[in-house]
Amino acid sequence: MYVEGRTLMRPCISMKHKNYYLQVILAIVLAFAVTASASAQNPTTSPLSSQELARLDSIQQLHEVTVAAKHPVRTIATSQTLSGADLQALSTTSVADALKYFSGVQIKDYGGLGGLKTINVRSLGAQHVGVYIDGIRITNAQNGTVDLGKFSLSSLESVSLYNANKLDYLQSASEYASGATVYLQTRRPTSDSLSVQFRNGSFFTWMAKANAQFNWKGWQGFIDGEYCSSRGDYPFRYHSEYEDTVGHRTNSDIRYGRVEAALFRGGFSSHIYYYDSERGCPGGIVRRLTGKYTNVGREWDRDFFVQASYQETLLKGLRFKANAKYTNEYLRYCTDYPENQNTARVDNHFRQQDAYGALCAAYTPWSWLSLSTSYDIRYSIMKADLKRFEDVKRVDQKLVFAAQANWRGIQLAASALHQRYSDWTFVQAGAADPLDRWTPAVSLAYTYKGLTVRGWYKQIFRAPTLNDLYYTQAGNRNLKPEYTKQLNFGAEYHLAKNHWQFDVQADIYQNKIENRIVCLPLKGTYTWSMMNYGYTFCRGLNSTIKGHYHIGQWSFSLLNSITWQRDVDRTDPEDEDMYNQRICYSPSFSTGVTGIAAWRSLQFTTSYLYVGERMWSKADPEDILEPYHNVDMKLSYTHNIKKVSLGLCLEVCDVLDIQYEHLPRYPMPGRNYKLTLSFGI
Amino acid sequence: MKRLVTFLLLTLYIYNARAEEKIIILNEGMWQSDNGRISYFENGSIVSNQWFRDKNKKKIGDTPNDIIRVNDNLFAIAVNWSNIVQFIRADGKAVAATEDIPNNRRLCSDGKYVYVTSYGHECETTKGTVYFTKGYVAKIDLSNYKVVATCEVGYEPEGIALYDGRLFIANTGGYAEQEGDHEFETTVSIVNASTMTLEKNIDTHVSNLFGEMSQSGKYLCINSPGDYYETPPCGLIFDCEKALKGEDCYVRFDYPVTYNTTTTDGHFFTVGSAFSYITGSYEFSCLTIEPWTVMKTKGKSGIEEKLPGTLQTDFADMSQPYGIYVNPYSGYIYGSDAGSFDGAGYLYQWSPEGKLLGRHKVYINPGHFLAIPPADWETGISPLMQALLTSAQPVFDLQGRRIENISHMKKGNIYVKDGKKVLRVR
Repeated sequence: MYVEGRTLMRPCISMKHKNYYLQVILAIVLAFAVTASASAQNPTTSPLSSQELARLDSIQQLHEVTVAAKHPVRTIATSQTLSGADLQALSTTSVADALKYFSGVQIKDYGGLGGLKTINVRSLGAQHVGVYIDGIRITNAQNGTVDLGKFSLSSLESVSLYNANKLDYLQSASEYASGATVYLQTRRPTSDSLSVQFRNGSFFTWMAKANAQFNWKGWQGFIDGEYCSSRGDYPFRYHSEYEDTVGHRTNSDIRYGRVEAALFRGGFSSHIYYYDSERGCPGGIVRRLTGKYTNVGREWDRDFFVQASYQETLLKGLRFKANAKYTNEYLRYCTDYPENQNTARVDNHFRQQDAYGALCAAYTPWSWLSLSTSYDIRYSIMKADLKRFEDVKRVDQKLVFAAQANWRGIQLAASALHQRYSDWTFVQAGAADPLDRWTPAVSLAYTYKGLTVRGWYKQIFRAPTLNDLYYTQAGNRNLKPEYTKQLNFGAEYHLAKNHWQFDVQADIYQNKIENRIVCLPLKGTYTWSMMNYGYTFCRGLNSTIKGHYHIGQWSFSLLNSITWQRDVDRTDPEDEDMYNQRICYSPSFSTGVTGIAAWRSLQFTTSYLYVGERMWSKADPEDILEPYHNVDMKLSYTHNIKKVSLGLCLEVCDVLDIQYEHLPRYPMPGRNYKLTLSFGI
Repeated sequence: MKRLVTFLLLTLYIYNARAEEKIIILNEGMWQSDNGRISYFENGSIVSNQWFRDKNKKKIGDTPNDIIRVNDNLFAIAVNWSNIVQFIRADGKAVAATEDIPNNRRLCSDGKYVYVTSYGHECETTKGTVYFTKGYVAKIDLSNYKVVATCEVGYEPEGIALYDGRLFIANTGGYAEQEGDHEFETTVSIVNASTMTLEKNIDTHVSNLFGEMSQSGKYLCINSPGDYYETPPCGLIFDCEKALKGEDCYVRFDYPVTYNTTTTDGHFFTVGSAFSYITGSYEFSCLTIEPWTVMKTKGKSGIEEKLPGTLQTDFADMSQPYGIYVNPYSGYIYGSDAGSFDGAGYLYQWSPEGKLLGRHKVYINPGHFLAIPPADWETGISPLMQALLTSAQPVFDLQGRRIENISHMKKGNIYVKDGKKVLRVR
């Protein structure tokens, strides 16, 4: 008995009507560009300079902090950020690699460069984590998850994780609509430059990257392109009392190309992104007596999006922001190959288009109070050549009312979010009934000198995805939304002196997840269906410590994160085997330590990650994924000859060569090397 | 002294004779997690939930999907996603494995060969690799554990049974919803077991003959889950003898029989449920089927919505029924509950009258059972008593054909009655 779950879990999209959508994109970009340049030339309507506008959010925060003390930006939300030098110093290739150092984060990774990588925050589930590029959500109406392996760190200024959501004065309703949020902040160039990079890594991995950026008369922009191919045929070994299996990972190759560009001016920002990949989808390592059957499937992705955002202060204390985005995604999953005679011959194409717009307004009647509202609308179409599947259209509307007050170190934020989902489809079972709900969130904090104490509560749901509702032979139109209720108490402390800086924060939390949406087999039928089943309860502690010290040409950083949590099943009090038992894949303890030492342009980083034991089934105490220690090292050096810079970087990942697993029988690559050469002018 | 020895031997015999409930349970595990496991149950308790590992210091593989008895000391296990048929002895020791029968499903045997159905499209044989457009049956020679012949049947063939030298294979076409090039199958393929050639396909006009398939002499109990949309599920009683003669050979009835088993007196016990993705609802049913009556009355009688004792309510209380089995040697009844599918499943044991005797924790997805013959069975054959002869229970020959007229039974031949081999002495 089995289902091929992978197709269900993967994203999808469309390249049809190319001319049509190109026109739409051009129209959107032009409209924003014209408004942006017009307003930038009119100082009366734009009292802030373009750079100031660009960092409007931070500036707001700085105002409030300056009153208290000369300390870095702080919010009443629980957040973690990796930015600038720290981010670049990590041995990372994708956003997923950076996020694994955050407290409260669990990564799910099928292994290798091509393996699907998703994150789960505080055990809420990957679909409760919203990922945002410059404040606009990356969406996938089909399956609700984002493969973080598709996003490069090279064009990013920072990666932040907010439990619940970010709390700024001017946010779109979508930004309130997930249980945890990851912000990818694109870097705004400050100078003109051109750089190229070449990388060679283990398992026949080649990568070439080019970046051109400019800063000209208030306009900033960049074009970043990357091409990579990897055979991914890493060796693995399973050695236990019952087996000694050795082999090479097969069908784990990937090639991808990514081109993205961004353009900024003052309150205007825009981003265009295209990703094209082909990869093998390797299966689990199972007992076989010959090496004959190894292929499980191959997958092609083409993701495109273009987005723009513009914000403007109209009158004193009244600000507006508008966001627009168009996404087009295509996915093909195929197992129909001559050498693949052991399984179903599937060749499915999924196409998804998504148009999004948001209008936000914020009003600050007094300096201590800010009121905001936002209306977001998203229109998604999904097409697939699955049998018994018809196009599905979804309109997702969100409206938020939020208020923030800040008085003598007391900060209060409250929001009420209304979401409405309506679907149209001719699939036989019919469209789900519209979903119409309000959810609240409230935060309270008090700051005294460098110390902030905070508490917050948030209730939010995730709507069933289009796969959950309509996928052939699994979908269930009667699904209810999956609710999360989070309660958090925490404190953070900042201290900065001439040569050093120290930040520490700790939060304790309690999450309840109700009506989990899971795929379950049906009583006595051999068939599977999406169901609302399960209630989980989680209590935990997250903490982070950051220290920076610099003297002369030396600088040192130490980052630490700790997660402790107990995550249990509370579904059925009568089920002794399950009730109050730990949830699968959830470690009770994990910690990460990163040390960075730099002297002039020579930099050395060591990252250590420990993840405790996790159950992968509740059937037997032996069904555990062993705890693992992962050590990555990175040494980089940049040499400047006149205007040309030459860089050399050596990375060793998994120095201890522990082939740990995130999923049973999906081994990680073990120790591997990367050598990168870069040239810049 | 002689008396003492006799006494001791007799005591030993009685002691052994008591140890008659020995059940092997296949836990499928989770697909691609390589965690198939075998549980071994003896006389009221689980001896091990990793019996194969204990005995062989290795794992059985990914998704063991069927287990049959080949002879008193040889059992075959179809390990679906490991592409092997694993052979073990009655003590659990691995004997051999036939490799590269990809996506294999169900087994049957005539004692000399093992026949296995496969959803795959190629097979390693002694004559090299053979390719198929649809699914196939492979014939494994037990003298060398190699595939010596194959025969292409319908798409995704599932259940297989042997009757009168022919293999009866239920075709499903189960990948129809994923593959573009075919629909659900509606046929039972009849293959000559010795020549491995397709004799004919019987169209049952019922799609997707998927699930357990039990045999009671010439009768087969076949499930059709329908297409989970418009076509509702149903059950079939199929008469192999009539099929060979070219007569009307099946009766369709409106109950699904997802899990089914043959009782010691030749009936079928079934557990099934009807599900529709359109309505999202399902209906649960438990049946006792008397196949000869069903055939005779064309389904008007012979099907009762009941199971012995508390079985029906016990199955209804399970979170996920996953199998039913009757020990052919003792009549004890077994069932399984797969629970939440990522946790341990449970084995249930009932007396032949349907009294629940115990509930035992096994492993993930316990779906398939096999009784090891009790100690006195290994010599196998007992003389056929007149009282037994005149009882209502049917008698079968070793080919599985029901003996309708007992006067046709030949002196000195061996028959099967009440799940036991018997010798016609007079």
